[in-house]
Amino acid sequence: MSRQPASKREHFEREALVHLDTLYNVALRLTGNASDAEDLVQDTVTKAYRSWDKYEPGTNCRAWLVTILRNTFINQFRRESRRPSKVEFEAVQEINVFEAIKDRDPEGTFFRFIVDEEVKRAIQDLPEEFRLPVVLSDVEGLSYAEIAEILDLPVGTVKSRLFRGRRRLQQRLYDYALEMGYIRS
Amino acid sequence: MTGLWQSLVGKMMPSPGGIDCAEVMAQLYEYIDGELDDEKIERIRGHLEKCQRCYPRYNFEAAFLRFLKQQGRTKAPPELQRKIFKAILEEESRG
Repeated sequence: MSRQPASKREHFEREALVHLDTLYNVALRLTGNASDAEDLVQDTVTKAYRSWDKYEPGTNCRAWLVTILRNTFINQFRRESRRPSKVEFEAVQEINVFEAIKDRDPEGTFFRFIVDEEVKRAIQDLPEEFRLPVVLSDVEGLSYAEIAEILDLPVGTVKSRLFRGRRRLQQRLYDYALEMGYIRS
Repeated sequence: MTGLWQSLVGKMMPSPGGIDCAEVMAQLYEYIDGELDDEKIERIRGHLEKCQRCYPRYNFEAAFLRFLKQQGRTKAPPELQRKIFKAILEEESRG
C-alpha cells in the first residue's frame, strides 16, 4: 500500500496548528477577554488555512500566523473596541526597580509570591505599544527580528518598546508586591 | 558620592572583559535575550563574572524574565482546539 502525500489539511495541522497556544496567548492579550480571543483565533486560523498556498514552507510559520492574527484584530476588533488604543507614551515616570530594591531583595525573590493572575493583569494593562513586544518576546520567546516583522517596525523600535514595557511591568509588579507586603517598605 | 566613587573605581580598575559597566548595562537585555553576536556575548560574560556592580543587576533582570516566561502563558482551551479542528475539516470538505 503506497502512502498518500500529505493533504493540505494535514500539512496545515502539522505546521500551523502547533502554534495554537501562541495564537491564543497573543489574542488574549490583544482583546483582553477569553471569548473575543477565541473568536480572533478562529478567524485567524480560517484565514491562514485559506491562504496556506501563500505560506512558503521553511519560513517562519509562527511569525506568519501572528501577523495574520494582528491584522485580523486591527481590521475587525479594534473598530468595535471602545477602549482607547493609544496611551500617552511619556506620561508615566519610569523608575528603576532594581535600584529601589537592591538593598532589600537584590535577587527579586518577591516575584515568586506574585500570582499568575496578577502578572497577566499587569501585562494586560500595559499600553498596546508595549504589550505586544513584551508578550511576543517574554512570554512567547520570539526574537527581536521576528517581532519587528510581525509589527512592521524597525528592530530598534522593538528593542526600545520592549525595554520600556519591561520596565513598566516591573514597576507595576513591584508596587503590587509592596502593597501586598511581599517586600518590606 | 556614589557617582564619584564609581568614577574613581572606574579609573583605577581596568574594565573587566574589556567593556565598561555603562556599555554592559545598555546591552543587558540584548545579552539575556540572546540577541548579540558571540564576541559581544563573551565580553559581557567576562565582565559579569568579575563585576560586583553589574552582576546583581543582571541576576535580577534574568530572574524577572524567567518569572514572566513561567507566569505569563495561558494554554488554548481544549474546546477551542476542538472547534478549530472541526472548522478546518469543514474548510477542507468545501474544497
